[in-house]
Amino acid sequence: MGKQYRLIYDENLCIGCQACSVACRVENSVPDEVYRLQVHLHTKGEFPNLGMNFERLSCVMCENPPCVSVCPTNASFQSKDGLVHIDERACIACKYCILACPYHARFINPLKNVVEKCNFCYETRVSKELLPACVSICPTDALSFGDMRHKHSLVHQKSHKEVLVFPKAHLGTKPKVAFIPNRKGMKS
Amino acid sequence: MSPMWGSVEQYSAIHWSWAIAIYLFLAGLSSGSIIVALLVKWNRHERSNSSIWDAMIKAGSVVAPVAIFLGLLILVIDLGRPLSFYWLLIRYNITSVMSLGVLFLLIYTPIVMVFMLLVFERTVIKYPFFAPLESLINVVKSFHSYAKIIEYFLFGAALCVGSYTGFLLSALYAIPLWNSPLLPILFLTSSLSSGVAVNILIGLLFFKSTINPESIKYLLVLDTRVILTELPLLGLFFIGLFYAGGDVSHAAKMALTEGFWAGIFWFGVIGVGLGLPLITVIIALRSHVYRVGYVVINSMVVILGVLMLRYYIIYAGQIYLG
Repeated sequence: MGKQYRLIYDENLCIGCQACSVACRVENSVPDEVYRLQVHLHTKGEFPNLGMNFERLSCVMCENPPCVSVCPTNASFQSKDGLVHIDERACIACKYCILACPYHARFINPLKNVVEKCNFCYETRVSKELLPACVSICPTDALSFGDMRHKHSLVHQKSHKEVLVFPKAHLGTKPKVAFIPNRKGMKS
Repeated sequence: MSPMWGSVEQYSAIHWSWAIAIYLFLAGLSSGSIIVALLVKWNRHERSNSSIWDAMIKAGSVVAPVAIFLGLLILVIDLGRPLSFYWLLIRYNITSVMSLGVLFLLIYTPIVMVFMLLVFERTVIKYPFFAPLESLINVVKSFHSYAKIIEYFLFGAALCVGSYTGFLLSALYAIPLWNSPLLPILFLTSSLSSGVAVNILIGLLFFKSTINPESIKYLLVLDTRVILTELPLLGLFFIGLFYAGGDVSHAAKMALTEGFWAGIFWFGVIGVGLGLPLITVIIALRSHVYRVGYVVINSMVVILGVLMLRYYIIYAGQIYLG
């Protein structure tokens, strides 16, 4: 049986420092003007009653990935571990997967001219038992990553303790990225 | 000021642009024109083995292969990596409508080519340059007892090509305006409409000697029925989106009221594409006058309207996400 990866993003711990975004760019040589990962900051309310919300945008590694089912050449595929990867050789850059993704996680790499997205740093880190670059750099431990099959893993413990929100769960995509929603601040 | 998290351009980019809109139009035009040609052949030809082809059949047999080739050319050039298109032919994913489309086109395209060769057999034989094709024609003709079955098969393939472009878009639940089960049938009916128009246009312009006014009348009546189906389909399409609630109904509301594309819809798709031809046809049918000038202009208006529908769906779908 494959792994059951999970990445948890705690909105309460995030300070919006963008270190994850920078680490991602460095690790994966992401070209300028495109992003595998972004953390947006939304300020709501009126001074002095302000509230802030963070929103993390990246591939959420669906269990039922719409990008894989629409890919005509199987360039977009799901590995045994349930991770969604792109076979750059077979990608014809038809952009069908980019349109199919409800999370807007995919883009065209302008240098390589193929579709790209977050892959949990699989090649360079996760396959070598290292944490993804964004997780390892996070100064407040807002990100945690691990295998849900291990009872002692941080993600397993957090999943039991916290209320997790899965982005756009109503679509039935079953993301492997979960959020611990903001408990403070202006909600509307 | 740019936000600290950087450019958000990639989240609202138009990934499928004019080239896809034109391809969807051309694929529809191709399938529509061959469907119309077959309908004329079955319903308007007195003898099924007549070698003097009705202008509508001639037009359809030319338009179908030319339009699909042009469309596929544009489609391949529009790929991010045009030279790697061969992967589409060696790897298939049956859950991908694009992959199914490749299969349909691999069946459809050769048959429409052969159909054209048969219709223009005499012209082909005249030129020594086409000599190799002659033997192909003879081989195909030896199957003439199966002609009707092959024609039904071609009709089915054309229905697949005409509707798969709709399924191609409706398969994506990330895009509310596309994710409608009515899109394939809407595209198919408008393809049929453009097929009628293009066959009349090409027939009148290039094959005048074999024009049968009765066929034209038959097609104009058919087109009126198609347009009268398309209008309620468009209505149902948006009503369905409104009833879906949430982001979907918001996207539909925006697409009908906001900016340039709402204008294209009301003025182009509804006004020019469906309203004008309907008025023309009603006037023409009432007065029983088929003036060539009117018919030609009317055909061009219908084709323009169908093209605008594809443009509208492609762009508004990607812009108004709810």
